[in-house]
Formats: sequence, structure tokens, C-alpha cells
Amino acid sequence: MDELIYTLKQQIIEALNLEDMTPEDIDENAALFGEGLGLDSIDALELIVLMEKNYGIKLQDPNQGKEIFKSVAVMADFISKNRTK
Amino acid sequence: MMQHTVHITPESVVVDGKVLSHQEKGAALLTELYRKHIGDYPKFFKMDTLCRLGFVASELLLQVEGAERFVPREDRAVVFFNRNASLQADTTYQATIQDPENFYPSPAAFVYTLPNIVTGEIAIRNKYYGETLFLVIENNDPNIISRQLENTFQDPQTQSILGGWLDCTDENHFEAQIFLIFKS
Repeated sequence: MDELIYTLKQQIIEALNLEDMTPEDIDENAALFGEGLGLDSIDALELIVLMEKNYGIKLQDPNQGKEIFKSVAVMADFISKNRTK
Repeated sequence: MMQHTVHITPESVVVDGKVLSHQEKGAALLTELYRKHIGDYPKFFKMDTLCRLGFVASELLLQVEGAERFVPREDRAVVFFNRNASLQADTTYQATIQDPENFYPSPAAFVYTLPNIVTGEIAIRNKYYGETLFLVIENNDPNIISRQLENTFQDPQTQSILGGWLDCTDENHFEAQIFLIFKS
């Protein structure tokens, strides 16, 4: 799981152009939206694309994102249970 | 009456006629300018090159103006011109949908596939509620530009315009030649 969390952090940094950040800067338990990384709605869409592109996970209901994108740790847990690639 | 000017190319930065020293070139130059002279707006890193160019150029311009910043105002318009619209963002987005086997349209790339996004970025940053306009024209033609500026000043609300030429074809080919002009 630690390896997946680290890889996920790298992918998030790349996909969302968080150029000033390294994986070490991201607390996997911190909120991705709001107070945490301060991501916006376009970032949420980009995370949905990231999950489909890298892990073969297609969210049927975008509202699922509210739960899945709570933190990197929650996201990694969801990916590990649902990934198809 | 033109009060301040900024000219940025991939290799040079001139503010009110004075050359600004820098190390980098091309897109890296815009990041260097952001880090050295601005640095408090992480959204910069999400922008396409056209928006980064307009954002950095406008920041340098407003810094030399020296007026109080971020106060809501309706008397300032943002009017830009270029030849290549949002070509770089269009190309970036197209790359995400080019291959049917690897078809993942990027929302983050898509949102910049209009040139007038940069006028919005600047207006939002500075709380400008006046007119915003981005015209795509054949060349950097002073006659067309001055005619449009005159038209913009026909609006009695508009007392100043942040505007000029803002063109970008890729990360290494761009030019900002912008100004702050006041109603005479």
C-alpha cells in the first residue's frame, strides 16, 4: 500500500501540475479538497481521468468522488480494491 | 495616454523601457518571473503558457503602476489581441484525444482552449468587473488595436485599459507587448 500511495502522489502532482510539491509534501491523510491541497472542481475531473487512465477504474457516478477523493490514503485504498490494471 | 508598458519574449523582459535581468528562457522564463516577482498564486502552475504569459506580464505592469491592488473596480477593462488564439492549449488538448486506444480528454487542458480565458484570469485576480475582450486579428496592427481601444473607451464606465498583444504558439514562441492606458 505504501508503494501505491507514493506512486499516486507522484501521479497527482504530475496530473494537477503541482510543480512546487514533492510526494513528501503531501500528507496522505490530509483532505485533498478545501483546507488540504486546495484542489478545485477541474482537479476533481482530472483525478477521475487519472483513475481511469492508470488503474482502469471508471467512476459511474461522479458523486462517488466526494468519498473517494477525501485523501490520498482513501483514494489508494479504493484503487487497490477496484483496479483493473 | 499610455502610462506603463511591459514587453516579454522568450529571451527578454522589458518593463517601462528598462530591461529586467533573468537567467531562464522560454516557458522557464515565465516561471522564473513568477517566482521572483509574484509567488503567491499557486494557480499559476495550472495555467497554459498563454495565461502564464498574460498573468506574469500583467503583474509586472500593475507592480510598476503602484496603485492599490485587489480592490473591486468596474472602471478598468482588459482588452487583448493575438494571432494564434489558444493554439498551444488546443494542441495540448488534442494530444489527449488523438489516439482512440488512449483516449483520455484532459479537463485541465480543455479549460484553456479559448484565448479569452487569460482575460478572465487577470480580471479574477484583480477583481476587475469592467469589460473583458480578446480579439484574434491577423497581425499586431497598431491601427486596429488603437481603434478598438477607442471603442472600448466609448463606454463611460471605462477609465483605463490593461491591454495589448498577447500571442503564443508554444512554450518557446510567445510575445507579450502590453500596456496600461488611461482615458485622456
